[in-house]
Amino acid sequence: MDFGTSDFKFGPITCGENPRIVNNRGYFPDKKSLVYRAFESAADVIVGDEVPLYLQSNEDLTSRLIHPMKNGMIEKADDNAWKVVGALCQYGLNSFPITANNGFQGYNVVASLSAVSPRYMYERLLDMFKEASSSGKVRAVTIITQPFAVAIGHGVTTCVVIESGHGNSQVCPISKYPIHSAQVALNRGGGDANAITSEILKDTGYGDLAREESLVRRVKESIGLVPDELDVAIAEAKHNPRKFRAKHKVPGTRVEIDLDQDSWCRFLIGEYVFNPNHEVFESYFKRGMPRPRDVRVGDTTFRGMLDFGEAIIASVEKCPVELQPMLYREILLSGGNFNWQVPQAFQGVAVDAPTKIKSLLRNRGIRNVSVKMTTSPQFSVWHGCIIYGFAIPEDYEWDWQRLEGWMKFGA
Amino acid sequence: MDGLSIEQSSNPGSLCFVSSSERTYVSILTPSDIIQRNRVIDALLRLSSLRFEGTQPYIAAPRILSAALDSQTLRSSGIGLLVYDERRIEEVIKPGPIQASNIQQKPTPVNTDNQPLLTELAELKSRYFELEQNMTRMMVEFKSIQLHALNSTQPSHTSLSEHFDTLQPSPMTCDQRKLQEGGPLPSFFVNNPWLDVLSKRGKTEDHLIAG
Repeated sequence: MDFGTSDFKFGPITCGENPRIVNNRGYFPDKKSLVYRAFESAADVIVGDEVPLYLQSNEDLTSRLIHPMKNGMIEKADDNAWKVVGALCQYGLNSFPITANNGFQGYNVVASLSAVSPRYMYERLLDMFKEASSSGKVRAVTIITQPFAVAIGHGVTTCVVIESGHGNSQVCPISKYPIHSAQVALNRGGGDANAITSEILKDTGYGDLAREESLVRRVKESIGLVPDELDVAIAEAKHNPRKFRAKHKVPGTRVEIDLDQDSWCRFLIGEYVFNPNHEVFESYFKRGMPRPRDVRVGDTTFRGMLDFGEAIIASVEKCPVELQPMLYREILLSGGNFNWQVPQAFQGVAVDAPTKIKSLLRNRGIRNVSVKMTTSPQFSVWHGCIIYGFAIPEDYEWDWQRLEGWMKFGA
Repeated sequence: MDGLSIEQSSNPGSLCFVSSSERTYVSILTPSDIIQRNRVIDALLRLSSLRFEGTQPYIAAPRILSAALDSQTLRSSGIGLLVYDERRIEEVIKPGPIQASNIQQKPTPVNTDNQPLLTELAELKSRYFELEQNMTRMMVEFKSIQLHALNSTQPSHTSLSEHFDTLQPSPMTCDQRKLQEGGPLPSFFVNNPWLDVLSKRGKTEDHLIAG
């Protein structure tokens, strides 16, 4: 089971190449409503494909529709969020009917959480499966981190996995085991690219559109570019604004965003994700855009202003010296925040995420690196969970130090 | 063969041919050997080490199992492949260049400064790890051959299809039907070195590599 921030992916090995997917959300119906009383068998929380059937009004979207994971984390005291996660676990276990009297003794469940999940999330999730074991559906459970699962799914035993999502990013070295002590977390993700896009829209006269989050995200994906060298890219774009002109038409409307002479700003969107330290961003901070700051959550400090190159170096240099060259030779990028396109006309000025990471490392004297995107970004975590569950010996027991092994229930 | 003599080999199931200029070592696997994992691993390890002694290594396997062998893995390890049946023996892959002469042609100059030695040591260790990874991939490949042999020769063992008969996913996808019919594992299993690494969890102390 892969508990992503947006989607819950699940299924046994019989699913083949791809898991089943539902939104990682739950709906708490109004028990006083006529609709709820008419369907008396409705559960306390609805998950999966049935959620849209229960949505009644826009008010429901804010008060009753719960997305439990915020940047891969669940607050310890957020009982509703934990109820949604519990319901999703049951939904996953019940989605594959079992033939009666065929010797089925329960699933060995492999769940996957963010690399920065604090210990209480492990404890809570394991307790949920312990309760589920009473139904006979669960024989044993284990939890692995999402970067570890990515490395397993990708088939590389020594590597650095960089997972970057909406709210944060994690740099995780792996050498047959995750090297937990060398993990580096960044308080920066796709949401920060949305923030700078919003500021750019305000500066260029589209302040009313800048308030709509989903529109801002679509504009980011449409016009945002990652520069190889920001100063060079800005100079090129200012010198040739027609070539680099950034336009976005909102489908189904007459609204069209055109940055015109300010189209050079499109390079700020990508640069900000990878390196927010350029002086050009200071003017945005002075005008009120929040500067990414260091935040401590549980045992993990999320660094705000560390660029990706420095973050990778800081992480790798916490590992044994003999291992470091091998780690630099296998850097895997995972997560939607690394999905940057490079239009053919801009090649050489705009780059993709692997090229940008290599450039950041090269500027710091690290050469002989190999950086790749994961081959199956949407499913690599689930692939890794399936392989892990298939290969781990039955007698390898759960260990709280190593955070690996089977926690078994019952006989 | 002209100019070739057979040298006594201390290992059963192997042949050693010697000529004036080279030595050829053939490790022969029978269908029953394929089922014994240690026999396969033992043969591969011996053949790998022989490359560095100036010997041309071959592994000989029954033709019926040749389709399951990954020729790229054997080529990258410099091990040749012979396949045989009741009628003939065929050389499918030639062994790679002999390693011993390459090492002899590049003597390392004596240098009192420690740094070049440390750098070279790190490089050698890196090559060793790469060789170990190649070995792991080959072991995974032969493990899949073992599973295949078990399913075809010992019907009393639980095959993958029998195991998944206990589940009845509905509706069934094409992939699910393939698995139920004892078909191949999903593509992300193929040549995945983690299968071997994870199967040893709790049995080796290789966790010292990690922090």
